[in-house]
Amino acid sequence: MSRAAVSPMLVRLAAEKATGALLRDHGTLYLVDGRVVHAESPAAPGVDVLLTTGGRLPREGWDEAVDRAGAHRAVGRFLVDSGRLHDGELEICHLGAVFDAAFFALSPTSGPTRFRYGVGHWFGTVRPVSAEAVERETVRRRELLDAVWPYAAVDTSPVVPRPAAPGQTVGARQRALLAAADGERTPAELARLLGRPAFHTLLDVRRLAAAGLVETPLAPEPEPGPVPPPLSATLPVADPDIALLRRLRDALEAHL
Amino acid sequence: MPGIDECLLEAMALPGARGASLVDWTSGLALGTAGDSPVGDHETTAAETAELARSAAEFDSFTAAGDSEGPPVEDLIVTTRAGYHVLRFVETSFDSSVFLHLWLDRDAGNLALARLRLRDLAERLVLG
Repeated sequence: MSRAAVSPMLVRLAAEKATGALLRDHGTLYLVDGRVVHAESPAAPGVDVLLTTGGRLPREGWDEAVDRAGAHRAVGRFLVDSGRLHDGELEICHLGAVFDAAFFALSPTSGPTRFRYGVGHWFGTVRPVSAEAVERETVRRRELLDAVWPYAAVDTSPVVPRPAAPGQTVGARQRALLAAADGERTPAELARLLGRPAFHTLLDVRRLAAAGLVETPLAPEPEPGPVPPPLSATLPVADPDIALLRRLRDALEAHL
Repeated sequence: MPGIDECLLEAMALPGARGASLVDWTSGLALGTAGDSPVGDHETTAAETAELARSAAEFDSFTAAGDSEGPPVEDLIVTTRAGYHVLRFVETSFDSSVFLHLWLDRDAGNLALARLRLRDLAERLVLG
């Protein structure tokens, strides 16, 4: 499978083993010796949100770690050395946050990409990941979202639950998501509220929309850039009659 | 207090171990890998095992029972002609969805021992 690089500049910086911050429209990637050590995006909850929302870490514990170790760029290390977190927890949480933020930071954009050599992040290095792995995963995630339910409009619209069909069940994590969906919160807001990675929330919302448990807005916002190719010859792409498709599917399932 | 790599290396020390990984079952991301993948690509294996784990973790029939703390499903075992796959859910006290996957050779592997060791590793990974 040949895939175009999501960021040619990232590929180049990895090759030259650069250290610094890659600034893009939707987020920032931090590199050390060409490897990704941290990522941030306004669209993705940070490690602090992931750790404090569920009560794993009190907010004061986080603030103190930032106060005491931020200047040395060793907040992650401090959280472990001071007994607030275990190594495995830190790695699991931080890696999740890095891939999450990188997904949004590397999203297609027409804006400028800049690199500031030598700039580091105060969180410090936990578990560096190769830039190729981050690129690959970002592409895989884009494809996964569209494979689940190819309507990007659900990603940014308020999440509006729909009644379940008779006998239709939902897993615990998606139940919690639906319970928090008040018809106004967007997936990004729900992610922050639940203390979950934003991509995970997007993916669950697309899965729920595919299952007919969340509304799919009929008029997707116009996307800049080239017009995507038709999804399939049989689907009227311009105005998919999703309600009809759902009824059709429900009827088919009822006869299984 | 093992991190991900130490944890996977310990899993690989089990008799008959051929591959090990720590996988996020919501996204299908491999957070860490060691040894081989049955299909020669850890990322593909992670995405596939994640689908299996997600089904087990979310279907009511597996999750209905149990009023105790923690994830209702502890592990999954898939037996193939050539090997065993043990998927052990890792419980964290922040919101996450990860499991350990160990691939064992059918002849050299010891399934009972592997289950016990993975349970231990899954606990130590987050509790130190």
